Amino acid sequence: MSTIQTSPEQPMPAQERTSTVIMGRQDFLSVLFRLIGVELYKLRRRAMSKVLAIMGVSLMILVFLIISVGELFVLSQPSSTFLPRQCTQINNPQGPQNPNGTPCLDHPPTQAEIAAAQQNKQSQLESTSSPLRLPLSLYVAVQVTQVIGLVLLVIIAGTIVGGEYSVGTVRLMSTRGPTRVQYLLAKLGAILSCIVIGFVFIVLIGLVVGALLNLASGVATDTTFLNNNGIGHILRYALIGMFGLFVYSTLALFLGTLGRATAAGVAGALVWWVLESVLSGILTIVAFIIKGPFGDFLKAIPDYFIGNNVGALLQNQAQYFLGFSASQLSNVHAILVLLVYLALFIGLSLLASVRRDITN
Amino acid sequence: MDDNSPQYDGNTIISTSRLTKAFGNLVAVNDLHLQVMRGDVFGFLGPNGSGKTTTIRMLLGLIRPTAGRAIMFGMDNAYQLPAILQRIGAIVEMPIFYPYLSGLDNLRVIAAASGMVSGPANDRRLAEVLEIVELRTYEKLAYRKYSLGMKQRLGIAAALLTDPELVLLDEPTNGLDPAGVFEIRQLIQRLSSLGKTIFISSHILYEIQQVCNRVAILQKGNLVKQGNVNELMQKSEQIEVRLSREDETLYAQQVLQKAQAQDATWITQVRIDRNRQNQSLLLVDAPVARSAEVNALLARQNLFAAELHPREGSLEEVFLQLTGQPTLPGVGTHVGMVALADPIQAVPQQPVPSPELSDSGKRGTV
Repeated sequence: MSTIQTSPEQPMPAQERTSTVIMGRQDFLSVLFRLIGVELYKLRRRAMSKVLAIMGVSLMILVFLIISVGELFVLSQPSSTFLPRQCTQINNPQGPQNPNGTPCLDHPPTQAEIAAAQQNKQSQLESTSSPLRLPLSLYVAVQVTQVIGLVLLVIIAGTIVGGEYSVGTVRLMSTRGPTRVQYLLAKLGAILSCIVIGFVFIVLIGLVVGALLNLASGVATDTTFLNNNGIGHILRYALIGMFGLFVYSTLALFLGTLGRATAAGVAGALVWWVLESVLSGILTIVAFIIKGPFGDFLKAIPDYFIGNNVGALLQNQAQYFLGFSASQLSNVHAILVLLVYLALFIGLSLLASVRRDITN
Repeated sequence: MDDNSPQYDGNTIISTSRLTKAFGNLVAVNDLHLQVMRGDVFGFLGPNGSGKTTTIRMLLGLIRPTAGRAIMFGMDNAYQLPAILQRIGAIVEMPIFYPYLSGLDNLRVIAAASGMVSGPANDRRLAEVLEIVELRTYEKLAYRKYSLGMKQRLGIAAALLTDPELVLLDEPTNGLDPAGVFEIRQLIQRLSSLGKTIFISSHILYEIQQVCNRVAILQKGNLVKQGNVNELMQKSEQIEVRLSREDETLYAQQVLQKAQAQDATWITQVRIDRNRQNQSLLLVDAPVARSAEVNALLARQNLFAAELHPREGSLEEVFLQLTGQPTLPGVGTHVGMVALADPIQAVPQQPVPSPELSDSGKRGTV
């Protein structure tokens, strides 16, 4: 018999595994990507993910359907509806000569007035259907993702992290070889993948549904915004939309890790999100009442909220292709604030998961 | 080597030194020195709450020791845990898997997390381990629908997935029926015969006695004893002698104690006890192979035994002696053993083969 001799505290040579066990590469990134694959596989096999995806798509379609109601209403009205009303109908006996009264007709409509009414209808149609067409439909779709998509992604993020603790599988996975840092980064990678796939898919669905519903209006999409500059801003706009979702998802991951439960991650992140809006309003009102340096201080607090900074970044991009005014917060300020949040959430999650004992 | 350095040689799979874990004021594991050699079927014994699971968790890096070190495969688990874990298959307490995945999907997830190539490349291995634990039929059933025994078996399948060198099983027969316990015991023996090192924790001593060659006994976080099972059990062997009258029993005790003081040093203790019929008995702590000599010593003094029979030692007796817990009067059967002995009594004892490395160091697989 031969024995394997090693000096003290030198790794003992590993025994060869059976031929049916095929091991992959074990460097940090290979393990990480394999774990991201594992996380996505688990999500794919989960009924919850499918339900959330269906909900996301359905709600996006619903929003565009609701928007199209205005368009369809205008479309269904005869042109005569857009003529000024008869003076007798609106109790304006002085007729159109009355400078203080509502414009009205005291004679049968002329051809010119009928043409004006048709033009009025067309302009109302263009106005009500504009959220169905690019570029405004992109704005609508991204705004929907910032509300509905955010809720769904927070649920996913909270579940894939907190669920490991709630179910107890964290013990099983932690004894398989990869480090806890790799596990946490894999979860972040999976969340990021979900955001990119989900965002692109749902926004595209929104744009397509909007475009289809817009066909009824007969108004053509104005493509003048699709120049090099515009496309760049649109891409940045989409990336910021995803970035905003990622920050909130990371918050859910952090709270799920800290609370070792799905509920902590999901409820915590959603409460944070709602509180930000509520506090922003309250602080602005209080600051307006108090005034002075303390009032200014209170007024400045919402400038450091996640939602306000994501909103500022989106608005600062939207101004280029939608003509909105720029936000009061600069891009640099918003990006720095959001990066600090990200660093805090990810850093503290790593710290908590690496240092903690995994017991029952 | 200082006291903090684990005792280590090239065949030591696990070596701990002064391993300690305290939760606040509660010391769950205290100053533990363990030594598990390659090829051992190592029983880790102790009552509930004695620190077995805490020790296993420290070995697997789930919890950090308050003090001390654990060297596994020649690597310190505080610094080289991932490399260590790749060589271990483990079940810690009741195995828990993803309830929404099937047994097969759960194993796929575990395989990828363990460093195996994702995709169909490892399907053969998945089928193999499911075959071993007899779950092929239920592989597509969602885990949440599994019975307790099926969950335990899936845990074992997961532990065997990467064909690990060390299989670490924490209470592997929890929730299993007697047939399941028997299957697990057979599996452990099969793994051992293939050269795997098995570390099995249990509070069911009979179970450990059946499969282990070495044991460590833990009580209230302290290591009470560590050693070879046969040697430990030899120390608990007894010869039971019943004489017809009480006065004869008393006299026989004096005779044997006198002999012990002179040259019969193989007798460690002689005491009087009573059996269930309330008859007095002489219990002689001595190797059962010396029964005839005990009989001869008594016969020389005209003391003739009405009954004389050797009583094999059991790990349970060793455990109870070492931990200072009382035994049932006379019969030598202990409370903890009664319930467990019956269902598995019919199982023939099989010696644990002593595994040896081949020249190439390569072993078979399960």
